[in-house]
Amino acid sequence: MLPAECSRRLVAELRDALDSCAELQRQLEQSLRVSRRLLRAWEPAETPAPEPTPGPEINEEAPSSACPPSPQDLKELELLTQALEKAVRVRKGLSKAGEGVKAHSLKSGSTSPATRASAPPSTSHCAGSCAPGTKPPRGIRHPWVPAKDLPGRRLLLVGDGAHMGKGAGANKPEAGLRDQQIIPQAAPPVPEAFTLKDKGALLRLPEAFRKAASRNARLWAQLSSMQTGDSVDAAAATAKTQFLQKMQTAAGQPGSRLSSAEVGRLQKACSLLRLRMREELTADPKDWTQEYRSLLTLEGLQALVGQCLHRLQELRSVVEQPQGPWPEGPPRAASPCGGGADPMWSPQLLLYSSTEELQTLAALRLRVAMLDQQVHLEKVLPDSGAWVTVCSGGVGHGEDSRLSLLVQPPRSTREGVDEGTCECAGALGGGGGTGAWCLDSCPRLGPLKCTRPP
Amino acid sequence: MGRRRRRQPDPADAARALPEAIAALSRTLPAAPSPEIFRRAKFDRPEAAPALWRLLFHVLSPLSADSASVSFTLEAQVRWVKSVLHSQGYPRLALVQLQDDGSQGGRELLLALAWLLARGPLPERLLTQSHVRLGDEMPVCECEALASPGPPAPRVEAEGSVDIRHLQWLMGKLQLRWRNLMAGQQEQCALLGKIHSYTRGCHSDRSLGHLSVTETELLRDPEGGRQLLQRLETENARLEAALEWRHRELVFWRWMDTVLDTCPLEASPPTFLPRIPEPGAGAAGLPVRELQALQEELQALQEELRKAVEARRAAWQAAVGGHGPEWRAARRALQVAVAQDLAALQWAWEQGKGQARPHGPRRLVRTEARVPGRLGLWATEATEALRAREACLEAMLHQLQGQCRQELARLVGVRPGLIWVPPPAR
Repeated sequence: MLPAECSRRLVAELRDALDSCAELQRQLEQSLRVSRRLLRAWEPAETPAPEPTPGPEINEEAPSSACPPSPQDLKELELLTQALEKAVRVRKGLSKAGEGVKAHSLKSGSTSPATRASAPPSTSHCAGSCAPGTKPPRGIRHPWVPAKDLPGRRLLLVGDGAHMGKGAGANKPEAGLRDQQIIPQAAPPVPEAFTLKDKGALLRLPEAFRKAASRNARLWAQLSSMQTGDSVDAAAATAKTQFLQKMQTAAGQPGSRLSSAEVGRLQKACSLLRLRMREELTADPKDWTQEYRSLLTLEGLQALVGQCLHRLQELRSVVEQPQGPWPEGPPRAASPCGGGADPMWSPQLLLYSSTEELQTLAALRLRVAMLDQQVHLEKVLPDSGAWVTVCSGGVGHGEDSRLSLLVQPPRSTREGVDEGTCECAGALGGGGGTGAWCLDSCPRLGPLKCTRPP
Repeated sequence: MGRRRRRQPDPADAARALPEAIAALSRTLPAAPSPEIFRRAKFDRPEAAPALWRLLFHVLSPLSADSASVSFTLEAQVRWVKSVLHSQGYPRLALVQLQDDGSQGGRELLLALAWLLARGPLPERLLTQSHVRLGDEMPVCECEALASPGPPAPRVEAEGSVDIRHLQWLMGKLQLRWRNLMAGQQEQCALLGKIHSYTRGCHSDRSLGHLSVTETELLRDPEGGRQLLQRLETENARLEAALEWRHRELVFWRWMDTVLDTCPLEASPPTFLPRIPEPGAGAAGLPVRELQALQEELQALQEELRKAVEARRAAWQAAVGGHGPEWRAARRALQVAVAQDLAALQWAWEQGKGQARPHGPRRLVRTEARVPGRLGLWATEATEALRAREACLEAMLHQLQGQCRQELARLVGVRPGLIWVPPPAR
């Protein structure tokens, strides 16, 4: 078996790694749930009022660029607008009468022209789920009603004329209905399930929300610009510095003390230096100037690393003396982006032009995170005295990953151990043809198999 | 105009300025007590202390403050705040000497809050943390994608040794989780792509063009939309308060000076330690392990650089003979250039601004390829940067594995009984 302490450390690290992954998975699943739900047909109760819709029939699949509406469309639009205004008035009365009444029952109860039940059953079928108990709804498209006055309804706005021409056409057989839909009164109010694919382009954000969002952006911009000082700022800045100094001197404590910020800086220095070293080592100098420059850079990096080490050792000598009565607290979860984060939010965009681009980027991000984790695990283990060494066979995209685990005895006992004692090697084989060497149990000692490394 | 025209500062205004400044501060900080509490804290009134402890706890904890505050008792919050302040370098000992039950020390806590406010843009940072994200966000900076697990839950560790099979099982589980993550992530991206393209043209903001999941969701679910709107409006109120605070804060700092003056000067550090620090912990609350790890990393780096430099220096000396006098001038120029280069590198970590671009998650926007004039980071560029990092990490991993293999080779040579089954060559 493995010696207790370092294997416990390894188990703890692995569990931490598993927990981090689990957290990511949880967040991902939540996002997936929301996205999937959005792409399905939306619940009928949430679909907008079954307002009649005339308007040009457009059968494009995807919301493409707007076509300019024809004169006839405009006339129809005018008719529609009048009908809608009337409908809104009626609606107001109805909504006061009873909230939460389903749209289709509204239809049966009202006498408004917009909800006449005389519509002939259509030959088409709705794209999504139908409200139970209704007649087969017609394949109609309806614009969104200004529903500011209807709490509980979705707040959507009527698109203006230009948008009427836009939008995914219903890809249901509707040919027979087109004529009937010219006149508002003809349309039955049965709500058709809404799908993002067909009608996503018709959505509009509610007024209140838009106002709040734009105010939000404006306020952030103002706050950001305040940081670039003015006279008020300068006075405050000096006041703050003076206050801090006063705090320090009033305290009577030695000034220099190890802070996590300093360690963070050193860690950052380490990774930046390493990155730079890699760049230099992998670069291919083409002439002697480049060679020399590379040499100088490496020497410079060496000096910087030396400085960092020196500083770290200085700090450690301070740290490891018993420092004082401060209690030990739980380690703070590092906020993402750590100390280098911008204190101020600003709108930053990530632009992509195709789903593949996005997927590549996302996959790469995960891969980098995974490699980070692997490197950490790889480093942690030798820490515990070179007892357990994990050789990871590398993880590739979609390939079977192989991890082989070799357990070797600790240095201190190596010399004394002979073949009679327990010394075990286990290997974890991944899938795909490597099963032959997967050992299920710790083999007893004895030369069962002896392979030399390549 | 009338009599209210001010020829000289109205004393009544000056009297109002402080309460208004404190009121603004109270409105912008999360979970802040009323301005009256601040005033009482100056006089060290007992009722001020618990409220200020809680405020400090909220202010110092990253994100998820609400859930944390529920699960922590006041005493736990007090201890935690003390530890965090210490790790940030808080100078005053009086704070740690306060009772753990949180019943005293209003004035000291007020000083601690002021100290935090003076050191950096605290209200802005808090607002950024809690900012209502309206878009679909993806972080592409080179920071870790994985959150560190946070305070480790106390685990029951198995006594004695661990079965190697358990380790194998854990590793296999980890592999599986990564695979699931990758697959799930790909699906999510596909879904996002669809939602973005279906809602193209819907957004009032032309630079965005389409709706995000959050925005579409608010249309689907009006109740959720209302809550989102409420959060947005709360944030707007806090933002306005922050702006007001920035305008008025000068009077606050003058007042804090007086508060500090009322405190007795601290004695030099006590010779006795009221509490023995736990072994294995550095004073900053950083485990010694972490420092050790950093040291070893730096030492490994140093070693690698030493070898590389030695080799190249030797090669250079061998080849350098044939250069003439113009070589000296060129050499000078190169030295200067390299020095500047490295100074910039050093500045990057000293200043804490390692990236050329700002940090943080970015809002995804689907757009036609390469439309000029779009302000934002292109996914293709971000991918490039990540590939570089990937290569670096892979190199590091291979190096670490190589070291381990060398060690094994040595051992296998020494001990024939050792079984080593390497992974098949790829």
